[in-house]
Amino acid sequence: MEIQDRQVNGISVVQFFGSIDALTAPAVTEHLSGLITAGQTRLVVDLSGVDFTSSAGLRLLLVAVKETRSLGGDLRLAAVQPDVLKVLKISGFTNILKLFDDVNSAVASYG
Amino acid sequence: MSQRFQITRAAELESLQVFRDFIAECCARHAIPNEIVFDLKLAVDEACTNIIQHGYRGMDPGSIILALRFEPDRILVQITDFGHVFEPDDAPMPDVTAALEEREVGGLGLFLIYQTMDNIDYQASDDGNTLTFTKLYRA
Repeated sequence: MEIQDRQVNGISVVQFFGSIDALTAPAVTEHLSGLITAGQTRLVVDLSGVDFTSSAGLRLLLVAVKETRSLGGDLRLAAVQPDVLKVLKISGFTNILKLFDDVNSAVASYG
Repeated sequence: MSQRFQITRAAELESLQVFRDFIAECCARHAIPNEIVFDLKLAVDEACTNIIQHGYRGMDPGSIILALRFEPDRILVQITDFGHVFEPDDAPMPDVTAALEEREVGGLGLFLIYQTMDNIDYQASDDGNTLTFTKLYRA
């Protein structure tokens, strides 16, 4: 899976490309864990390039959100595509995670 | 008149994308709406993931057969494997209204299948286990 990192106003923005399923989830988890371990606890995940997620993706997001929040940070989503948004809604994740239309809004939300 | 499509792949995680692409291709031939296609992809992905991760545990590696049948008002999906029998009733349902601290990590796969498919049937026999999903739609 292709992953791109960048910093915007001191916030770590990570973008994934493709589908998040049980095969690709470990790579996503590993990448997020690496950022958190390196002290990047205020994260924005750009999902504009993600066309599909299964419960594997939900699981890893839940773990990462819990971890960043326990460290005083957060993990916020940007540009969630319609199909992925549907999965987040069905599973109640839109009540737990903060979603934004675009990366700039998500970054700005950290104040 | 209904049309049926079928593929067989190894029960490994690399097959998940193949199954999703297969669903997309078959649905494209029948002009199935995007939302329906996604629901099918998701349910099949969740079911196949379970089979891949648990179905053949302790056994020789096996296969999964995915079949789609298109009827005027519904799509029937059949997923067949030859591994351990899965008992859906044994799996816990997640509490999707729980706050973050209370949310458990497990149980979401089956929940998503129940949320996206109109009917679910599971038959286990010595010849294999077959999961049948029915997805209704209006052409």
